[in-house]
Amino acid sequence: MYSIIVVPPPTTEAERNAPQFHLAPGERLTFGRSAADNDLAIAHEGVSRAAGVITAQSAFWVLSNLSSSQTYVVENPEGAGEHIKVGPGRLDAPVPFEFSRIVLPAAGDLLPIEVWAPRHDYLRSPGSLDGATTAPAFSVDRTKRYFAVLAALCEPRLRGEPHAPIPTVDQVVDRLRPLWPSAGRTTVQWNIDYLAVKLRLKPGPDTADAGPRLNGKKESLVSLALRFDLVREDDLVILTAPPTRSGR
Amino acid sequence: MSDPYAVQVPKGYRVGSWEVREPIATGAFGSVYAARRTGPSDNLPSDDLPSDDLPSTAALKFLPTGTHTPRQLTHLRELAERELELLSRLRSAPRLIRLYETLTVDDPAHPELDGATVLVLEKADGSLAALLSRAPRPAAGPALLAQICEGLAQLHRAGWVHGDLKPANVLLMEDGSARLADFNMAAELDGTHAYTPAFSTPDYTPPELLWAEIGERGRRIRPSADIWAFGVLAHLVLTDSYPLPGGTPSARRDAAVAYARGTDELRLSPRLPDIWREIVRDCLARTHQERITGEALLRRVESAAGTARSARVPRRPVRGGRAVLGAAAGVVAVAALAYGISAIANDGGDAQEPGAKRTAKVSAARYGASELRTDKGVPVAYRALIVDSAHDCVQAPVTPGLIAAMLKSESNFDAQLSDPAMDEYGIARWTPRVLRYYLRSDGKPTAKVPEPPFTPAQSIPAMSRYLCAIVPRLRSGLDGDEKVLVAAAYRTSYRKVNDAGGVPPKVRAYADRVAHYLKEYTPPGKK
Repeated sequence: MYSIIVVPPPTTEAERNAPQFHLAPGERLTFGRSAADNDLAIAHEGVSRAAGVITAQSAFWVLSNLSSSQTYVVENPEGAGEHIKVGPGRLDAPVPFEFSRIVLPAAGDLLPIEVWAPRHDYLRSPGSLDGATTAPAFSVDRTKRYFAVLAALCEPRLRGEPHAPIPTVDQVVDRLRPLWPSAGRTTVQWNIDYLAVKLRLKPGPDTADAGPRLNGKKESLVSLALRFDLVREDDLVILTAPPTRSGR
Repeated sequence: MSDPYAVQVPKGYRVGSWEVREPIATGAFGSVYAARRTGPSDNLPSDDLPSDDLPSTAALKFLPTGTHTPRQLTHLRELAERELELLSRLRSAPRLIRLYETLTVDDPAHPELDGATVLVLEKADGSLAALLSRAPRPAAGPALLAQICEGLAQLHRAGWVHGDLKPANVLLMEDGSARLADFNMAAELDGTHAYTPAFSTPDYTPPELLWAEIGERGRRIRPSADIWAFGVLAHLVLTDSYPLPGGTPSARRDAAVAYARGTDELRLSPRLPDIWREIVRDCLARTHQERITGEALLRRVESAAGTARSARVPRRPVRGGRAVLGAAAGVVAVAALAYGISAIANDGGDAQEPGAKRTAKVSAARYGASELRTDKGVPVAYRALIVDSAHDCVQAPVTPGLIAAMLKSESNFDAQLSDPAMDEYGIARWTPRVLRYYLRSDGKPTAKVPEPPFTPAQSIPAMSRYLCAIVPRLRSGLDGDEKVLVAAAYRTSYRKVNDAGGVPPKVRAYADRVAHYLKEYTPPGKK
C-alpha cells in the first residue's frame, strides 16, 4: 500500500544493496546525521543532525526542512531544470514531481536523495475525473522517459506482429537515441526497473532469489501494457517526434 | 478517446431484429442504447423463439470487439467474454440483469461497428446512481439493499465475483426492484481467488486491492471485495455520504489506507441506524478475512430491511436430474437459452435449428437434427444431453457435432467404460481428479474427488464445460482445425497443445478419429 519510495544517497560501499524506504500515505521518514534519531542516517559532517522529514501524503509527498540555515533544492530530473526550493524551517512543503531529487548542500558536496512517487494519477480520457468511474488501476505519464522506453518495448507488437520478440536493451537504446541523446544501457535499464515498480508487476516466482531475470520482466511489462492499453499504436509517434516537455 | 461515446451507433441502425433508438449510457468500454424490436429481419432467424420471449424494447450493449476498430483494444474482447459467459451461465438468477440474446454485428460498411458484440439486455428504468442523485436517501433504500445483497449472494454462490459493484451498476426496473448489471470485471473464482483485469472504481475498492500487485493473469480478487463495496454502497444509500472521510476520491482512498493500516478508526455517519451500522462495519472490516461472508450478510441485511427471507435460488438443475428424453418444460427453457448462444456461434448468420423451437413436440430421435445428423449412429438416448450441453457453452467451436465425435472417439458411446489402468471412466473417459472441477454446473469444484461410475448425465455436461474452458486458453495461430485442437487439448491439456503449436504427435490418431466423426456427424452446410 506504499505510495512513495525514498532512495538514500549513494554510499561508497554496498551501493547495490542500499535499502529503499517505502512509505504509505501518512508515514514519515526523518533524515539527518544522527543515526540514533533518524530513520535515514546520512553520515556526512555537513548535514544537520536532524535535517528533515519526508511525509507521504496520498500519491505525493511533503518535505520539512529542519536545518537552521540551509535551503534544500528539490529537482525534477526529467524537468529540464525544473525545481523547487525549500527554505530553512519550512514545514510540509508539497512536491508535485513523480521523480524528485532532494539536493542537500553539505560542506561543498551535494548529496542527492531520490524520491519516487509512482502512484501519481494521469488523465486518460475526457470525463474520467468523476470518482465513480471504473478506471485502470494504474496510469502513466506519456511525457516521461519511462513511457518512451515502454513504447519502444511494445513497438514491434503494436506494429502488427503479435509474437514479435521483445527488443533487447541495446535495441531500445538505439531506438531512443535520436530523441534522447544521453540514453544508455544503464538509464534504459533503470527505467525498465522503475516501470516494474510503477505498474506493480508481481515478481515472478523464479525471480525472488536468483536476481531479476531481465527477459521475463520486459516480457511481462509488454504484455501488461498491451493488455491494458497503456501504449496504443498512436502513442508510437513519441518514438519519431521529440517528446514535448511542455503542457501536462 | 476524444469521443464521448465508446461506440457510436446511429439512431435507426438495425441489429438483428432490433432497431437502435436513443443512447442510454456509456462506459469506458462499451455503450448502451435503447432499442425496439422490429420483428423478423433478414439476417437472423425469427421463428426460433416464441415471440413473447423477446420483449418489445431492450437495452443493447455494444462492445467494440471488432478487428477493425481504430484502436487495438485487445482487453475489450476479454471483458466482453467475461460478461457474456457470466450472463449466459447465470440466466436463472433473478437479481441479475437478464440477457436475451447476443449478436455480432456483420456490417463491413461500418468498420467501427463491424465485429462488435451486442448484448441484448433487459431494459431498465434507470440506475441506482441516478436515483441517488435525484433523491438521496430513498425511502426504499433498505429494500433495495436487500435485493442488491441477494444478487451478490447469487453471484457468489455460483462461484463468481462481481468486481465492480457501485450504484451505476445497480439497475432499477419498472417495478422498482434492483438488479445487478455490468459484469465486465466479474470473474469466476479459481479456488478462493478470481483474477480480474486491473480496473477499479476507487471509492468501492477494498484497501487490500488499492495499489495491489498485478500478475500476468490480472489482479487477484476475492468475494470479500464485493462485500467491501456493498458496505460502501449501503452507507451511501442510507446516509448520502461515503463511509470514509474526504472530499475527493483520492482523499477517501488515503483514508481507506490509513484505516486498513490501523492508524485510523472507522467513523460511520451518525445518521446510520444502529442495525445497519453493525452490518456496514462488518462489511468494512480492515482485512478480507474479517469481513462477513455473502450468505451471513444476506440474512442480516434482510432482517434489517424487514423483507421476507428471499427464496433460495435453485441451483441450475444438473442435467442428469432431468429425464434424458426431456420433460417438455425443461426442454423449452433450454431452447430459450440456446437461442442467444447459437446466435453468436453462427455470427447471427444462418438458419437456426428447428429442433430448438419445437422441442415440446420433437421426438428424441430428431432432437437438434440441424446440428447433429440423425442417420450416423449417435445414440438417441444421448442426443438431448449432447445438444443441450453444447448449447450451454458460448464458445463457437463447442458444437453438438464436436461433443458427439469426441464421445465416439473416447468410448464409442460406452457409458459403462471403466479403465482403471488409465484412471478413466464413463462415456467421456473422465479422470476423477479432473472431473472434480467440471462436475458442478456452478463452476465450483466438488468437495471430494468424485468416484466412478460416472453417468452420461454427469459426464457429457462436464465435458462441454471443460471444452468451454479450453477454447479461450488455446493461443491463436495454432496449426489445424480449431475443434480438433480443442479435442486434442481435452485428451492432453491446452498447454501441451499450445507448446506443440498444434495437435501433439502423441494424440494424432485420436485427433484424426475426432476429425473424421466430426465431419460425419455435422450436417452439410453447418460449420
